[in-house]
Amino acid sequence: MHASLWVSKTGLSAQDTRLKTISNNLANVSTTGFKRDRAVFQDLLYQINRQPGGQSSQNTELPSGLQLGTGVRMVATQKEFTMGNIEVTDQGLDMAINGRGFFQILMPDGSINYTRDGQFQVDSTGQVVTSGGFPLEPGITVPEGFQNISIGTDGVVTAVDAQTGDSTQIGNVQLADFINPAGLEAMGSNLFRETVASGAPTQGEPGQNGLGPIIQGALESSNVNVVEEMVNMIETQRAYEMNSKVISTVDQMLQFIGQQL
Amino acid sequence: MDKFLYISMTGAKEALDAQRLRANNLANVSTTGFKADFHQYRSMSVFGEHYPSRAYAMSERPGTDTSSGTYMETARDLDLAIKGDGWFAVQMPDGSEAYTRAGDLKRDVTGAVTTGTGLPIMSDGGPLVLPEYEKLVVGVDGTLSITGLGEDALSLTQVARLKLVNPPAGEMEKGEDGLFRLKGGGELQSDPEVQVVNGMLEGSNVNPVNEMTAIISHARLYEMNVKMMQAAKEMDEASARIMQN
Repeated sequence: MHASLWVSKTGLSAQDTRLKTISNNLANVSTTGFKRDRAVFQDLLYQINRQPGGQSSQNTELPSGLQLGTGVRMVATQKEFTMGNIEVTDQGLDMAINGRGFFQILMPDGSINYTRDGQFQVDSTGQVVTSGGFPLEPGITVPEGFQNISIGTDGVVTAVDAQTGDSTQIGNVQLADFINPAGLEAMGSNLFRETVASGAPTQGEPGQNGLGPIIQGALESSNVNVVEEMVNMIETQRAYEMNSKVISTVDQMLQFIGQQL
Repeated sequence: MDKFLYISMTGAKEALDAQRLRANNLANVSTTGFKADFHQYRSMSVFGEHYPSRAYAMSERPGTDTSSGTYMETARDLDLAIKGDGWFAVQMPDGSEAYTRAGDLKRDVTGAVTTGTGLPIMSDGGPLVLPEYEKLVVGVDGTLSITGLGEDALSLTQVARLKLVNPPAGEMEKGEDGLFRLKGGGELQSDPEVQVVNGMLEGSNVNPVNEMTAIISHARLYEMNVKMMQAAKEMDEASARIMQN
């Protein structure tokens, strides 16, 4: 059938996928440490139906040809690693990274995943774990009878022995950084995984070598901007409608010739 | 028997081709840096000894609308937009240069900076490579300065300057891949007058109202041509009836 139907179909499916990224962004507007996605669009190939500059006679050439595009496609979704807002929660084990860097999380299979979500808790063995129950790496264990955990901007974790009142260092929070954070693979559950595109992680102490300092008692909220997503949603919906209008117009044209002749 | 059926046929066929061009513009209504294609009809007359009535229709894409698209604020440091006239230069896989207005850049693991579609973007000294940085400052002329990791916020180092070109109007032509090149081929020299802003993206310059109106007009033109084809059919039938009687 006619090519404009397929051209508009590419428009519809690209807008459809874009709406999916927008709805995912909006659904995660209150997810701690969430980074929004952006749809990247690209125009598809052009077909030359009549070559511009072809000879129309020995001494003259066609001033313009007919090049027809074949539509649009969504090439990528791009994670945007801009900072979310820092929200003060006053919870002892809540941490926010004020700048670059990721917390390292030890997964059950022994691999390391990375997150910006600093909502940590203590499990039954005293280990500091994420809300999913996976331990922070390098591991920090709060010994029994210790309280008042404080985390310095450089990641040093100290706790106070409730009986003697002495303060002891119980561990260090280390951060990892990537050359290209946008290349990380989002695993869900606020976790990211290293890929070839992200490069190998470099570990370091918070606040050093470009890594952000840690703020205790605060969380980094989602970096989704609701107004921006709403505007994108309006744009997507209208673009979708116009592309479907083209399909119905071409459909009517084809119907017309079928009925009239 | 008159063959005006064929003339109406070209009218209807070219209107459908035109519809495809408009459909492509509308499909790219949210493509960053997309430039809408123009469309025109031309009459191709083939006059013989008879009454000069044979003028066939032809659809053409005379060029591309290079006016600026809408600017959108994104606040991302590697989103660049050109203010006014000018183009970014990108390197094609074969080493040649092409030009685009899409400034949604990304930096890969080697530090090479590419467009959203993965083509290396050119600086004055070849494809742009940025070392790891904490803060990127883009000057109005495309000069890139960075603060390295862990460095003092005040110590900015100038690393490169984007290759921004500005050929005379009408010299650029859209290729089969949607990128622009000089009509006669060849590479352009960098132009210091081109202005760039960061944290912004240039959207598509497709005017949806324009395209929708054009689509309606092509549809009506098509219907009129089909009506003429129907008239040709009726006339043929009438003359066939005369012969039968």
